[in-house]
Amino acid sequence: MNTALIISIIATVLIGMIPRSMPIFAAAIGETVDQAAGTLNLGVEGMMLMGAVIGLLVDYYTHNLVLAFLAAGFIGLAFSAIHGIVSITMKLDQVVSGTALWFIGWGISGVIYASIFGISSTPPTVLTLKEVYIPYLSSIPFFGKFIFGEDPMVYILIALLIVIQYFLFHTKQGLNLRTVGNDPRVAEIMGVNPILYRYAALLFGGFMAGIGGAYLTLVIVGSFYFDMTAGIGFIAVALVYFGKWNPWRVFAGTLIFGAVYVFYLMMESIYPVIPYDFYQMLPYLVTLVMILIIGARARAPTALTLPYIKEG
Amino acid sequence: MNIIKPIQIILFIVLGLLVSSVTFIFFKLSPAAGLSTLLYQGFGTKGGITGTLEMTIPLLIIGVGLTVPFTAKFWNIGAQGQFILGEIFATWIGLELVRALPPILDMLVAVIFGFIGGALWAIPPTIMKLYSGANEIITTLMMNFVAVYLLLWLVSGPMEGAQAKLVNAPASAPIPPNYMLPTIPGTTISSGIIIAVIIAVFFYWFLRYTDFGYELKLIGQSEDAALYSGVRIKRNIILSMIISGGISGMAGMIMVYGITQTLIPQFFSDVSTSFGYVGIAVAMIASLNPIAVIFTSIFLGGILNGAYVMEAIYSVPIDVVISIYGIVMIFSLIGVMIDFGRLFRRRKVR
Repeated sequence: MNTALIISIIATVLIGMIPRSMPIFAAAIGETVDQAAGTLNLGVEGMMLMGAVIGLLVDYYTHNLVLAFLAAGFIGLAFSAIHGIVSITMKLDQVVSGTALWFIGWGISGVIYASIFGISSTPPTVLTLKEVYIPYLSSIPFFGKFIFGEDPMVYILIALLIVIQYFLFHTKQGLNLRTVGNDPRVAEIMGVNPILYRYAALLFGGFMAGIGGAYLTLVIVGSFYFDMTAGIGFIAVALVYFGKWNPWRVFAGTLIFGAVYVFYLMMESIYPVIPYDFYQMLPYLVTLVMILIIGARARAPTALTLPYIKEG
Repeated sequence: MNIIKPIQIILFIVLGLLVSSVTFIFFKLSPAAGLSTLLYQGFGTKGGITGTLEMTIPLLIIGVGLTVPFTAKFWNIGAQGQFILGEIFATWIGLELVRALPPILDMLVAVIFGFIGGALWAIPPTIMKLYSGANEIITTLMMNFVAVYLLLWLVSGPMEGAQAKLVNAPASAPIPPNYMLPTIPGTTISSGIIIAVIIAVFFYWFLRYTDFGYELKLIGQSEDAALYSGVRIKRNIILSMIISGGISGMAGMIMVYGITQTLIPQFFSDVSTSFGYVGIAVAMIASLNPIAVIFTSIFLGGILNGAYVMEAIYSVPIDVVISIYGIVMIFSLIGVMIDFGRLFRRRKVR
């Protein structure tokens, strides 16, 4: 391969990786907060699928993207509320409940889509979110386009990253939340209500998972197909481990993942000697390697997956 | 176990089924009509029952295999991948040896290779969990996707059969009919169902009456307690995963040798071939009791089979079943864990 090709590959990866990583990032940032408070939400995959289909429908009928994203967020929130009732209030197994919600989201999203557009019809065309080119800055050669030429959702999510980072590590409520995740009894003694914090974190996580799903349909793909997340929700959970419950590191992980995604989609056409199927494996293999190497020494919030049972 | 608990669990499963039937209103069917059609197509006709039992075979075997690591709270979500690897290994060795061996030996070798294939796919995530703490739920799931694409590559590449190439539908060469598992006399049901029930009964005994089963339970209840009482946790977990993966692989062999006859591609988005995922629901709804798995696998297999027919008649996508499973799972979880019986029992006076 010559240098010109390599440079163009790098440029394409850089331009494409930010939008590609956003659905995972949205879900992962929510899951980070959620896990920091001690609840493992395995239903992210299902919530993303629900967000994807609801976002698409609302967009299809109202042509209002803000409404579409909000609706997607709220369906994710509703799903996480079920998870909350089962795993926080009833104190039942979070893995079983999360798996069940994944199944429900997987099934219902397909059912809703098929009930409106049929099983094998051509996908409807919907309004998608377009890039906004920030004047002057986006015309900086090479870097300008992919830093200042993204869609609005990217900026919102990056702003959210900063807010969450600040919230978790520099505010009293953030400290409370992390204490709830590490030792809910201590939190209770500190005068913090663990149940309340866990619910808030979980609902936020569900909302963000819905947003991530909607990003997939409304920005990247432009339509919905059955089980379209293809494990992205679980990759988001993996990236929380990879990021050791630190939003910045989670963000870095999602960028790597976005780059891998763009890279393999491109290499399929550039270098077709390797069968297509092996390129498709790449994101999953990368996830395995990432979680093996860097997630290895991660120290999870001590009370993760443990329900809070009040003594006495 | 008292009598209230099983009744309570069954009541909750029925309740879950009723709640899940609400999904049918998306297709302008009343929940009652939708549910009764689903159950009628699955259990009400002779063809329906045959189809249901066919679905039951892989679900039952995989579900039983999953109860083993689940008992230790080691969440193997990778049954789908282990199942696929079992299919691949069994079909490959079976076709290789088909000229050299008589049917019975060929099947025996294939089932052993199916076991090995499934177990091999289960070991890496287990090692990753035990020696570096990588969450097994994620690693086993990722292995599923790798398996799916490996299978897609194999059936459209190295293992593609001559006939499949002609019609351009990726599949392996077929297993010769006389090398297939025999059907139960007088029916068209594969004898795989008998093997499946034997496996279930064996594991009921195995988990209940052996030290190994007891130790797994201990690990599941409290890893610390297990450690202090001298249980070798790593050894037990690895063994449980070899068993679980191997059993899923065996299910793959029985699938090919009993039902599909060829290795066919399985897309991750296709619920109708996602026996590994449905198996999770089967094991969890049965609250990890291998005997109960027999009934839940028939139950979920019937719903799956009924949904096939409904897809054709009412264009209800087969995905509807996976949401039904999810809802029933939550209800059965509540039914198992919540002690409603306490409400009816008289309080002991101190």
